[in-house]
Amino acid sequence: MSKVIIIPVAVLLLILVAFATTDAYRVPTLEVTFVEERPATVETIEHEVAGLTCLGQSMGFADMIGGTPGVVSLTTYTRRTTAIVEYDPELITRDEVRALLESPFVHEEE
Amino acid sequence: MRVLRTVVQLIFFAGVVALMARGLAGATPNTCETYCPFAGLVALYPLIRHQTYTCALNELHVALFISLVGLTVISKKSFCSWVCPLGTVQEWLWRLNRRIFGRTVRMPHALDRALIPLRYVVLAAVLGMTWTIWQGDLGFRAYDPFYIIFTGFQGHELMAFSVFIAVGILAVAYFVPYFWCRYLCPLGAVMDPLSRAGLLRLRRVWSVCTDCGKCDEACPHAIPVSEVTELTARNCTNCLECVDACPEAGALELTILGK
Repeated sequence: MSKVIIIPVAVLLLILVAFATTDAYRVPTLEVTFVEERPATVETIEHEVAGLTCLGQSMGFADMIGGTPGVVSLTTYTRRTTAIVEYDPELITRDEVRALLESPFVHEEE
Repeated sequence: MRVLRTVVQLIFFAGVVALMARGLAGATPNTCETYCPFAGLVALYPLIRHQTYTCALNELHVALFISLVGLTVISKKSFCSWVCPLGTVQEWLWRLNRRIFGRTVRMPHALDRALIPLRYVVLAAVLGMTWTIWQGDLGFRAYDPFYIIFTGFQGHELMAFSVFIAVGILAVAYFVPYFWCRYLCPLGAVMDPLSRAGLLRLRRVWSVCTDCGKCDEACPHAIPVSEVTELTARNCTNCLECVDACPEAGALELTILGK
């Protein structure tokens, strides 16, 4: 019954393939732009945000930072709890944006 | 064969229990849902239609679902009897029952036939409601015994009746082997057509078989193993209980496409 070993080997390999390929592509959970007109100069910062694990939390986080002058857009990827923020360096510094991304937030459940 | 399968089952069961413990202790935001392949199927419609994920779904769910499809094509519904922690719990309950009563309790054939289509109804209801009424929210959580049990009954969106659903299903599974899998599991319904085409399948060698019927008695899925040459039944999970029960070495063998 050497063919029996095919089953656990297939299970292991297919699970490893699943984990390995999830970094090969990513689709944003939330993409939102906060300004009507895109500024002439835009910089980007990508950062891990603790607790960003679902669409609801992404929307809560967007509510939290969306009113900050200089923040242009937010894209979240909940698989890696990561957010990408575009900002206008004329209005807000990179360190200030990083501070926003590192500040704790609590998504209030309705 | 059972030793190898039990080891694999224990690895996945221990993993999901550890995840549950860490979740209950607040050490991780992840739950058993994070690694559930059925969530990948649920994620497909909003992903294709709106190019986004809803609720707590992400690309890992989709990847795990695709891997599950691959596993089913290779080895039928092996996921159910080798990996799924809910399948494992149901199997342990069935074994306990068999140890006490000395035999497998079978559903009446007519009732069994009547209930099998129910899982397709569950599948249609879950997908339809998730993609419409629940607007992408995972409302099925309150009804999913896997989520209810392996979040320690503390999962998101659970209702008071969720406990009764989970306990009720396990109680019935004590008497009817793999009750959830056989009649209600929407993931099982999805895998049905692929399972029939599974490459790894059991074959009977008639020259060795003595027609003792022990394989039929051993099968937890009520498949008439003794009546077929090649086991293509969609409910076969390659648990190999029939092979373990067979007293004649070589009468039942695992083959690739019958060879």
